[in-house]
Amino acid sequence: MTDVRLDKICKTYGTVEVLKDIDLSIEDGEFCVFVGPSGCGKSTLLRMIAGLEEITSGDLSIGDRRVNSLSPKERGIAMVFQSYALYPHRTVRGNMEFGLKLSRMDRREIDARIARAAKMLQIEPLLDRRPAQLSGGQRQRVAIGRAIVRDPTVFLFDEPLSNLDAALRVETRREIAALHEKLGTTMIYVTHDQVEAMTLADKIVVLNDGAVQQVGTPLELYDTPANLFVAGFIGSPRMNLFAGEAGPEGIVTASFGTLPRPDGPLPEGNVTIGIRPENLHLTSEGGARARVTLVEHLGNEILVELALADGQKAVAQGPRNHCPTPGDSVGVTIGSEPLHLFDGLGRRIETRSP
Amino acid sequence: MSRISHLQSPRAQALILLAPAIGIYTIFAIWPMIEVVILSFQRWNGLDADRVWAGLENYRYIFADDPVYWIAFKNTVIWTVLSVIFPPLVGLLLALGLNEKMFARGAMRAIYYLPVIIAPIAVATMWRWMYDPFFGLFNQIMTGMGLQGWIQDWLGDRDVALYSMFIAYIWQHVGFSMVLFLAGLQGVDRSLVEAARIDGASRWQVFRYVTLPALQVTMTIVIVLSTISSLKAFDIVYGMTGGGPAQSTQMLAMWAFTQSMQIFDFGRGSAISVTLLLITLAVVVPYLRWSQKREDAAR
Repeated sequence: MTDVRLDKICKTYGTVEVLKDIDLSIEDGEFCVFVGPSGCGKSTLLRMIAGLEEITSGDLSIGDRRVNSLSPKERGIAMVFQSYALYPHRTVRGNMEFGLKLSRMDRREIDARIARAAKMLQIEPLLDRRPAQLSGGQRQRVAIGRAIVRDPTVFLFDEPLSNLDAALRVETRREIAALHEKLGTTMIYVTHDQVEAMTLADKIVVLNDGAVQQVGTPLELYDTPANLFVAGFIGSPRMNLFAGEAGPEGIVTASFGTLPRPDGPLPEGNVTIGIRPENLHLTSEGGARARVTLVEHLGNEILVELALADGQKAVAQGPRNHCPTPGDSVGVTIGSEPLHLFDGLGRRIETRSP
Repeated sequence: MSRISHLQSPRAQALILLAPAIGIYTIFAIWPMIEVVILSFQRWNGLDADRVWAGLENYRYIFADDPVYWIAFKNTVIWTVLSVIFPPLVGLLLALGLNEKMFARGAMRAIYYLPVIIAPIAVATMWRWMYDPFFGLFNQIMTGMGLQGWIQDWLGDRDVALYSMFIAYIWQHVGFSMVLFLAGLQGVDRSLVEAARIDGASRWQVFRYVTLPALQVTMTIVIVLSTISSLKAFDIVYGMTGGGPAQSTQMLAMWAFTQSMQIFDFGRGSAISVTLLLITLAVVVPYLRWSQKREDAAR
């Protein structure tokens, strides 16, 4: 069993608290993604699991061992770095066997492991080259290969795709997913890209300001974001957020009039209404009036940026057949998908369908 | 109009920027070098109007008859070997220490670098005082500690003078190596160090397999520059011992100077200088080629 458990993990640099009371449990074989904006502490958290950063307080266990004071090697982890971190003066083979040689592994076993990993990653022809002679994608494979040969109990990835171009990123992302499928090893993956998080993860951990905002499957985060931060962070384009006031008749908004009260308890007072762009529809008549400020073509669909009557901006995503031009006046209506409601503190208000 | 555009071409601008330096180098570096080579085949006392052609006589003399040349040669070799080993080694150790996060790191770096900016002749004078057998710092300290047995005539004993002088030389030059190594260490990719730690490398193994290879270029530069500066060691000898006692600290640069400026035999002095020049070129030319190749490769 190589689950990873974090119990009240804190990290401070001097008086600056970068991670506060992180509780988390990652199950054996799970693909867990830490996602959040720059500076949210996700990389620091990963590096603490790796043993590259000291844990200020709290307990970290891998399997059933508490590993706080163990060296990276003793933790049985392998890590893939954003910069690949390949030893420049060693060949691909030299890079892959370095750790195994240090642990005095039998030569035949080393060769067998390298052959297996090289085959899996299709880097066999590259084994005698040096990193400088490889493309970015090839370097990334070698970095993954170096992790695989160590046969770790947990793989750690620190933004492994950020240095690749867009096409290669999608391809490598798939390969990492396939690798996880094949190896079934616990993987922890850090990214700031919510698309990577959504496509790869069994479980996503959204971090902001050094605290966990929400933990859940990709769809849970998309369908029921726990707070305004997660609502804004997960989903592209971003969820539209409108201010409203909950009263006995319904929710009063500036642009969309009074929306019906959803079922379930709804505290009265200021609320924020979240509507995904695909749930805003353009009409020629009726609905809230808005002016089109920008149209972006995605190919099969269009994104329309709108300025509502009260000046607020919104984005609608829809089919390309009714394509307005900037400057047009259009009507906007809310679709049938459930609305997301957040209270004055930004926490989700649990509702059933409206 | 067309004249202005001529002046604005990159080639013309390069020439304008280089011209003063080319002029100065020709007058003060290239011409004297040619002059020394010519002089080495002549006999001249520095005053006479005409110089007499002597062929290879000066060379024959310094190699075969000069009682000091080979002593100076041997001392220069010892000096160079020591200079290639110790200042870079101590500089590397200091750089490794001062690369760690620690209290007053910046101030310590400045202090260790300070001797580099002191004029060598001032360093020589300072250390001569400190080495003074009766009033000098070292012997005073040893007397104070009851170590009278260790007291030496640091610069007066022909078995220790060269090494005493070398200590002063290390003190002055270590900062130079240290600064280059610090710059080199800053270029060591942190994630490589971390990757090695995850691969299970100990501190020593990280140094041996990651830091040291990454410092290869810096190391070449430091060693070559140390060699060059040790070959031309003159001012420290001039200021501390003048080559004595009994020529035990005599070196090629100093001996060339003595032959020319004190014995007034410019022919022999030049011949000695030419031998030193050839030794130096044997180090510098491969180095320049290597660095040129690296620069081209980096493009």
